[in-house]
Amino acid sequence: MLKFVVVILALPAVMLPVATFGYVLVRGWAGMTEAYGLMDQVTGSLLLAGLACALSSPVSLGMAVWLCIHGKRAGSSWLLQLQLLHGIPPLVYGLCGMVLLVQWLHWGVSLMAGAIVLAVVVLPQMTLNYLAALQRIPREWTEAARSLGLGTAQVVLRVWLPGAWRGLVTGLLLSLARTLAETAPILFTAAVFSGVGWPGSLLSPVTTLQTHIFYLAQEGIDDRAIDTAWSAASVLVLLVLGGSLIAQWLRARSLR
Amino acid sequence: MKVSPQESRQPVSSPAPLLKVRNLCLELEGRSILDQVRLDLPCRGVTALIGPSGAGKSSLLRCLNLLCDHWQGEIVIGERSVRKWPGGADALRRHLGLIGQKPVVFPGSIRRNLLFGLGRRERKVVPLSRIEKGLSSAGLWEEVRDRLDSSAGGLSLGQQQRLCIARALMLQPGLLLVDEPTSSLDPQGCHIIEETLLALARHLPVLWVTHDLAQAQRVADQVIFICQGSLVEQAPAMEFFTRPKRLETREFLRWNVCECDG
Ligand SMILES: Nc1ncnc2c1ncn2[C@@H]1O[C@H](COP(=O)(O)OP(=O)(O)OP(=O)(O)O)[C@@H](O)[C@H]1O
Ligand SMILES: [Mg+2]
Repeated sequence: MLKFVVVILALPAVMLPVATFGYVLVRGWAGMTEAYGLMDQVTGSLLLAGLACALSSPVSLGMAVWLCIHGKRAGSSWLLQLQLLHGIPPLVYGLCGMVLLVQWLHWGVSLMAGAIVLAVVVLPQMTLNYLAALQRIPREWTEAARSLGLGTAQVVLRVWLPGAWRGLVTGLLLSLARTLAETAPILFTAAVFSGVGWPGSLLSPVTTLQTHIFYLAQEGIDDRAIDTAWSAASVLVLLVLGGSLIAQWLRARSLR
Repeated sequence: MKVSPQESRQPVSSPAPLLKVRNLCLELEGRSILDQVRLDLPCRGVTALIGPSGAGKSSLLRCLNLLCDHWQGEIVIGERSVRKWPGGADALRRHLGLIGQKPVVFPGSIRRNLLFGLGRRERKVVPLSRIEKGLSSAGLWEEVRDRLDSSAGGLSLGQQQRLCIARALMLQPGLLLVDEPTSSLDPQGCHIIEETLLALARHLPVLWVTHDLAQAQRVADQVIFICQGSLVEQAPAMEFFTRPKRLETREFLRWNVCECDG
């Protein structure tokens, strides 16, 4: 009986995303032949997400390791700070980025500005992901390594990182998926509507899937534009889904 | 010259103790875990550390090698205080081999595990003879000689425990701290570990935590009994089991014997 109720209650929660994903995919594929090309947007999205994660990864990893080492004493207050940061709407970061990087530093709307803003946006979540991976290392391993005379750096390099690498890659992929989905921070900092393929330098603007959908849906002049928006959405969904699935798979393996 | 009663009781010929602990107090989360512990370890032989569960035996070992370092008091090895050990806490831990209750093997091969405590350059050039010597002294060489590069996780629990002993021995420790090394083993595995450690104890002092009074009787030259964080009695094994001085010890011995019978 209880099971039945739970299933009934959970059904919408499961069905809704599945239905949405399904609809986006079907609609997107149907329009794909009619749509304008999307290669530039895919390139732009992946470049931005990749660069952002590359920028924030070392910082996040450092913070996660630090939190793990000083876990007991300083850990909890820092964790709270991270969760607070995580709660700030990404648009706010986008605005700050626009004022600071685009205008004040005269970088213009550019790949670099967008990547930095995205890196800041994803930093808290990425740190929490990495921290979770590191905390799954058994405490006995650390103690055994310490009692063999390994210093802190040695413990991190020879026990923690090799022991947690699957979890760390999982965290990275989840963060990558998150940056791929993020629109607001790059709207004013990195993306233009069209007209750029491979960005010539870090200071050139890019076009991305996320912003493309936004522009097309907003100003959809003809059916073809709308079709293109749907196609862009389906490609984006596939990318995010792919990243998440690989991450889930790795996580399942790392838990074993 | 004034001599404290405990010192006057010792025979004149006994050599100076290698490890001296004086007034060791440890408090964790507001609770007193160890209280004014005083003990001596001779230069070789097995000293069994017994006491009921939660008495603070593991905590004492962790204090000795500074895994837990907010204690008060004095711990001296040789002539040096552990706090002022040359090379710091890491060097101290290399000098004190700690063998835990459950074997901890790291992912990777037997060879990797054995050499885990060595420095990077040393690891690269370790000759096979040294590996053989290390594994033999833990009684493991014959069993693993043809599979040094296979996963250490594939060894049996007893073999893993001996691998941990060998791993600690690779660092040429001056003292072994063993924390209930046989608690997760069957009698056979238990016997092998006992033999291994007894052989080592001919040259090294071994501080051996155990629950098992029968085991303490088998292996110990000297017994230390602690209860609720304070040291109750330290005596040579014969004396301890036949003529315990303190009431608490007699209670503990009787209670445990009863438990074995029932
Ligand atoms: N990190 C810690 N924080 C707080 N209390 C602790 C900590 N570690 C141990 N204790 C407490 O210290 C006391 C002694 O623990 P310890 O592990 O040294 O006992 P033990 O004699 O080794 O017991 P056992 O024979 O069961 O292994 C216990 O009451 C335990 O709850
Ligand atoms: Mg214990």
